[in-house]
Amino acid sequence: MSIKLGTNDLAKYPFLNEASLYIKDTHFDLLEFDRSEMSFIINRSFEKIESFIKNNETRHYYKIDKFEIEILTFLASLLILKSASIDIITKKFALFESMRFEKYLIDDLKNSFKDETKRLILLKIFKEVFKIDVYAETKTIELYKIRVPEYIRRSILFHEQEWKLINRTVKDGYVYLDVSEIVRLFRNELSLLIIDKIKNMKSITFPKQVLIKSQKLKNYWDSVNKKTDVDIVNKKSVTPPCIDHLYRVLDTGENLPHSARLLLATFLLFSGKSIEEITEMFKKLPDFNERITRYQLEHLSGKTGSSKKYFVPSCEKIKMENLCHETNVCKGIINPVQLLGKRMKI
Amino acid sequence: MFFHNNDKSDLNDIADIPREKESALKDDFKDSKSHQNNQNWLKKNYKKYYFNFYANITLPEKIHLHEFGFRHFEGEKMHRHLSFKNSGELHAFVLKFAPSDIYCSSSLYSRPTEPMDKKEWGGSELIFDIDGKDLHLECALTHNYTKCHDCKSIHPGVLAKCTNCNSSRIYIIDVPCKNCIVSLKKEVTKLVNFLIDDFGIERSDIFIYFSGNNGFHLHVLDSDYYPLLSNERSEMASYLLGKGFKMETLGIKKTQGDKFVPLSKSKQLLEAGWRDRILKKLKINFYSSKNSDSDFSKQIEKLENAMKCDFQQMVLKTVDDLSVKIDPMVTMDIHRIFRLPGSLNSKSGLAKILCNDLKSFDPFNEACFFDKSKVDIVCFSPVSLLFKGKRYGIHEGNNHVPRYVAVYLISKGLANIDLKDIQDG
Repeated sequence: MSIKLGTNDLAKYPFLNEASLYIKDTHFDLLEFDRSEMSFIINRSFEKIESFIKNNETRHYYKIDKFEIEILTFLASLLILKSASIDIITKKFALFESMRFEKYLIDDLKNSFKDETKRLILLKIFKEVFKIDVYAETKTIELYKIRVPEYIRRSILFHEQEWKLINRTVKDGYVYLDVSEIVRLFRNELSLLIIDKIKNMKSITFPKQVLIKSQKLKNYWDSVNKKTDVDIVNKKSVTPPCIDHLYRVLDTGENLPHSARLLLATFLLFSGKSIEEITEMFKKLPDFNERITRYQLEHLSGKTGSSKKYFVPSCEKIKMENLCHETNVCKGIINPVQLLGKRMKI
Repeated sequence: MFFHNNDKSDLNDIADIPREKESALKDDFKDSKSHQNNQNWLKKNYKKYYFNFYANITLPEKIHLHEFGFRHFEGEKMHRHLSFKNSGELHAFVLKFAPSDIYCSSSLYSRPTEPMDKKEWGGSELIFDIDGKDLHLECALTHNYTKCHDCKSIHPGVLAKCTNCNSSRIYIIDVPCKNCIVSLKKEVTKLVNFLIDDFGIERSDIFIYFSGNNGFHLHVLDSDYYPLLSNERSEMASYLLGKGFKMETLGIKKTQGDKFVPLSKSKQLLEAGWRDRILKKLKINFYSSKNSDSDFSKQIEKLENAMKCDFQQMVLKTVDDLSVKIDPMVTMDIHRIFRLPGSLNSKSGLAKILCNDLKSFDPFNEACFFDKSKVDIVCFSPVSLLFKGKRYGIHEGNNHVPRYVAVYLISKGLANIDLKDIQDG
């Protein structure tokens, strides 16, 4: 059975292939963004990016406009970000945009248990975007289910206990999830999909209006992105490979799971970095929140809470958390801090 | 050469397979004459086994895509990153060299002979290892042996120190008893139930093997699980081990007044998986009464009084009881090479063999392929063994025993072959 998406669906999910087809079918030329009547779209796109980046804010953008406007706004946003080519901003935008789509998906999925057509549309979206079969279990309880390997592949990226397989309902090879959970599970992939869409844009002649906005974005970024690089450890010491890896991930603006943040923070505190210096580094995280970061660093350093100072996790624990990137320098150590005293071979 | 290896230096690679205590024990004697005699004698017997029982060997379907590894009686080193085009090549190799151990990867590789980072991994069977040592059985404390690394003396039972020289450099020699095997089988049954009921794996895709020593290996050939990476397999292992269980998973929460009450209906999930197992084991019925929260709390209090235990502890203890004692490192290691089904285990001389009927399976009968012709051995300690339905009371010193008993005790490091048997073969 062919399932046709409605215009409202396209407005909510402009990343779908059918939205791209709409652009194609209307023979829309990107340079048309320079037309005066399009300035509304360009401004709307820029404001949305700005709000995501500056305020970590999505709620002003939940209201859906006409589908043509939403599709073009999405496209203009991608163009501005492509032109600006600032990885951290692209990733932050992708994360917040995916959180916005997540909200629509949750609402739609909740209403879909009584509306088979709606349900089929949503399952089609999962199939198209995430290449996965999601099944609805509506006989006894309103839940969705996916195959165990498909669940594990995604859930291991979350480090909260509730996502562990043991804390899920697992039956006959399926993991059962409620609406919010199934959507949350795919947030990272949705975010990656948006990043890919930006990265894969090739041979583009950017409209002038897009270039103006992207330059504005670059200026903003230069003004806030002071030199924040902090030497992790004394250059004469060996940087533990697990820490080095986290540092590189952080530098590219990718998200770090809780356990990785804990490892990096405790290591940096141990190596003598101040809470200010570490907070500055963590600013690169797409979901950075200064208040929460400071609170957690103070807690880890024993300045607040039970005044217990948290030590750097052991290599064994790091392995269990899948954060180990062992190399030859790790031979014989049981904690990465042991490498702090080890001199680099030149 | 029968094997294909692009890099000859890899022949001498020592694999990262954890070495067994018995092997370390053999190191003590590896230069001694008696050790050489034992190894030569065992090799002759292994050769005979591979000549007569090669049909026991079960090979993977696409043999050329698997990595093989071997240990030889002449040395302790592991030779790996080898491959064979077909069964015939492997057969010829095994007959020629009569290795002490034969290993095969559970993973498929485009280039099995290349170093690990260039092999091009193409998925792997799911493997579970249930080892007697992980069950921490009380009986093992009495029927296992302690061998001293320093004075070489052997003592019955598991000791913290050598009673002869007071050294703490000791090794444990496993000599599993009937109870050990029964307990291992219980774990296997639990695992099979988890795999079928929770992971949806068909029974016909689960192959249960006796490991050839003191455990069982389960190989799962379900293509859905082949692509899972190491950390993803680790998550499956944690599930089976019951690690990280949260009380909320039961569908209950603790109130501020320290009472346990059910979560709202919408938060309670299906009766399945761990939740179902725990509730059934503790005989808690969520839906029996026209339950109010206080009725439920009373039910829990009653249980706490009866068991004289805090409910949370009771649940965690139940999780531990219901968990499967697998070795998680084995399950998550996608680059490990495993003992080849049908091959002999040098730690015992028994074969890794498929268990068609787990309930009736007796490793000391069905995994034992040496004949009953009598040979002379010198045993270091009294041992009691049940082989092929017959109890053997071995005393310290000279013994005249069936070949299968001799192979077992020599492999365990509990006896030496008598010199005159070396000429006899």
